[in-house]
Amino acid sequence: MKLNVENISYSINSKLIVDGVSLDVEEGAFVGLVGPNGCGKSTLLKNIYKVYKPDSGAVYIDGKDISRMSNKETAHEMSVMQQENNVEFDMTVFDMVMLGRYSHQKMFSTDMLKEGNIVKDALAEVGMSGYEERSFLSLSGGEKQRTLVARALVQQADLIILDEPTNHLDIGYQYQIMNILKNQDLTVFSSIHDLNIASCYCDRIVLMKAGKIVDFGTPEEMFVPDKIRELFGVETQVNINPYTGRPNIVFIPAEALK
Amino acid sequence: MEKQKLSLFPLHKESHYITFCIIMAVVLFVAMIFAIRLGSVQIEPDIIKGVLINNLTGKEYYPVTWEESMESIIWNIRAPRVFTAFIVGAGLTLCGILMQVLTKNSLADPYVLGISHGASAGAVSVIMYGYLSFLGGYGVMTGAFLGAVISIVLSMKIASVRKKITATQLVLAGIAVSAMFSAITNLMIYHTKTGSDKVKTASYWMMGSLTGSSWEKLKYVTIAFLVCFGFIMLLTRQLDVLMLGDDVASTVGVNTDKLKLMIILLATMLTGVIVSVSGPIGFVGLTFPHITRSIVGTKHMRLVPASVLVGGAFLVVADILSRVIVAPEELPIGVVSAFFGAPFFLYLIRKGNKKAGG
Repeated sequence: MKLNVENISYSINSKLIVDGVSLDVEEGAFVGLVGPNGCGKSTLLKNIYKVYKPDSGAVYIDGKDISRMSNKETAHEMSVMQQENNVEFDMTVFDMVMLGRYSHQKMFSTDMLKEGNIVKDALAEVGMSGYEERSFLSLSGGEKQRTLVARALVQQADLIILDEPTNHLDIGYQYQIMNILKNQDLTVFSSIHDLNIASCYCDRIVLMKAGKIVDFGTPEEMFVPDKIRELFGVETQVNINPYTGRPNIVFIPAEALK
Repeated sequence: MEKQKLSLFPLHKESHYITFCIIMAVVLFVAMIFAIRLGSVQIEPDIIKGVLINNLTGKEYYPVTWEESMESIIWNIRAPRVFTAFIVGAGLTLCGILMQVLTKNSLADPYVLGISHGASAGAVSVIMYGYLSFLGGYGVMTGAFLGAVISIVLSMKIASVRKKITATQLVLAGIAVSAMFSAITNLMIYHTKTGSDKVKTASYWMMGSLTGSSWEKLKYVTIAFLVCFGFIMLLTRQLDVLMLGDDVASTVGVNTDKLKLMIILLATMLTGVIVSVSGPIGFVGLTFPHITRSIVGTKHMRLVPASVLVGGAFLVVADILSRVIVAPEELPIGVVSAFFGAPFFLYLIRKGNKKAGG
């Protein structure tokens, strides 16, 4: 088991946001975390990537308790791509990605040529070759996200945690980013907003509501009208996408049913 | 695809960067010589060279052809003052960089946590009530340092929420603490008879001044500066990562809590020491990190040494101006640095906006 979350609870101002969550992510799996706004997805992920310290429970990577690891050690095991907040100071794309190499570099004995090649390879991987000297802040939303994916990739961890990696992106970029992630030889745990994207790319889906995991299974098992209604309060019709063979969710507005 | 050239800062190449630093060092050196030369008494460069080298080496390399009073002006008054100007300018710039990274806010300056107002209140209380008089000339300095420490402790206490110190909380706490201490200072001045010598001394000190410089004080700021500079140069890579925000920095592998504590301790110590020597000189710590960043980029390994040179050189020049403009009177250096720094800063902001706006 790559990632074990055991009975994590976390509260903010004595309000329970994450309520005894346990889950496992298998090596090499692509797992999507789905749930309505405010259900605690981001908070759960932050507990996993150590920005929050859980009130109770523990997180294990390859069986090791991450609360006993230094940030540097954790960075070797797990890379994280967060919803990007604004960066006040501009830098080049190359430098931005290079910051992902922090945990691998030593102050006086780092082969910068090799490091540079790792960065360039990652940029090529996300289709950003030729952007090395561009200013990060001048990039479009999709380019920024791809740069951040590259930054997560150069960390060379086997596990990557993503918090809505395709948020605010148009449909073309959404599929592009997910494709890039899918093509990596990585274990992925990501919160995903768009159910069809989750259905298309994930091996396993975790449904979350009000701080709890309500169900867990394959997209076929999870994306059924009853469960979607319980989670989001929306009527749906689920077909099979003839191209992917995965569930395709069609949303039905309440007015259309009258 | 056409490769778009959108350079962030002009000096990408390492050789250009080094050339820039060398040029700044030369500018600094020339400015220092001028600063020693100019003043109510003009001094020949030969004499300056003779006095400095004789005193530094402790031997008579150059035969003494000048009067005793010349030697005293150069060695006891102007030289310590010029070096103090450099260290104060360099130190404030360094603290500015640290505070900007700490708060992720490019408008932060060394005084953002209320240090300057705390120090002012401490110093003014000593000037007005004289309760540290047993320390002699160091009374005001000690008062200022104590004020700085009290203000930072208060800011930190107010800013820490759930054992974490967030950037926004820190800035807000700093504003509150500043306001409080500035009210206290004003109250003390208000209570004292206007026009009295004490009020004049206090207001002069509050505007920032290098008139009280001496080798003793210089030694004390230099040590603080070198300690801070040394540590910061070891932390440059972590500072680069911290610019991305605390959360990202920690997931990339930085121990952000430890790093932030380190930054606060170093910057507070250095700012406190500087303010206790020169009073709160404004604008240097805000402007020069910016100006240098637009030339050499955001990487701290390059930014810190270059901006220290630029900020230090600027304050040496500002000190010359403060003595020359209304000679034989002297302007407080804080007035000069803001007067010449502000328009230049505005120019840079407008230029930057144009570039970004296309």
